[in-house]
Amino acid sequence: MFRQLSLAARWVRGLCGRLRTARPDASEARGQNLLKEWLSPEQLAQYTANGFFDVIGGDSGRRYRIHHGAAMNVVEVDEFGGARAGWCFMPRACLVAGDVMLAQKIALETNERGTLAIANNFTPDRRPHPSRRGQRIGTHLLR
Amino acid sequence: MATQIVMDHTGDTRHNFDTEDAKAVLKAEERFKTLTGRGFTAAVRNASGETTVIRSFDPNAEETLFIPRFVGG
Repeated sequence: MFRQLSLAARWVRGLCGRLRTARPDASEARGQNLLKEWLSPEQLAQYTANGFFDVIGGDSGRRYRIHHGAAMNVVEVDEFGGARAGWCFMPRACLVAGDVMLAQKIALETNERGTLAIANNFTPDRRPHPSRRGQRIGTHLLR
Repeated sequence: MATQIVMDHTGDTRHNFDTEDAKAVLKAEERFKTLTGRGFTAAVRNASGETTVIRSFDPNAEETLFIPRFVGG
């Protein structure tokens, strides 16, 4: 299941890459600018520092971590920052990563239940980012 | 001046219009209806930065963002 999702995500990324304009850097930059304009100050600081930002689900109050990327980049996390579940969903269009992340943020904040109903679930990589090993998130020690 | 921002493969396309110009507002409303009719979600931000989804055209919204329909990945 995970392998199939991974292959599908890779195929989508490849397709989008081929369809993108002759100026991919400009498109990526525009997407990044739009994302940064719409993130809250806290989310922007978190994204700048770590390459991800947290979003609170509008229906359940659960916390989701949106990592830089365009597919398989949303992970539900517990109060200690530990991965609970991965959620794969994206706009049905070839968009740059900044746009996809912004769309995912808005979807979870404004229509969490409807978004998760169409999303595919995957088992996230539970290993912490190498740069964060040994650091505490809340009271949880990353190993 | 208000802006409609449509996410697309170039990053986004922006349509600016003068909120005092009735013709321009009408055209913006038509664009809103066309995009939402095609499945786009329209979102606006309030003064505190909170994002809400709107179902009908708001001529007073400074920025309206249009997001393509979602699919599971």
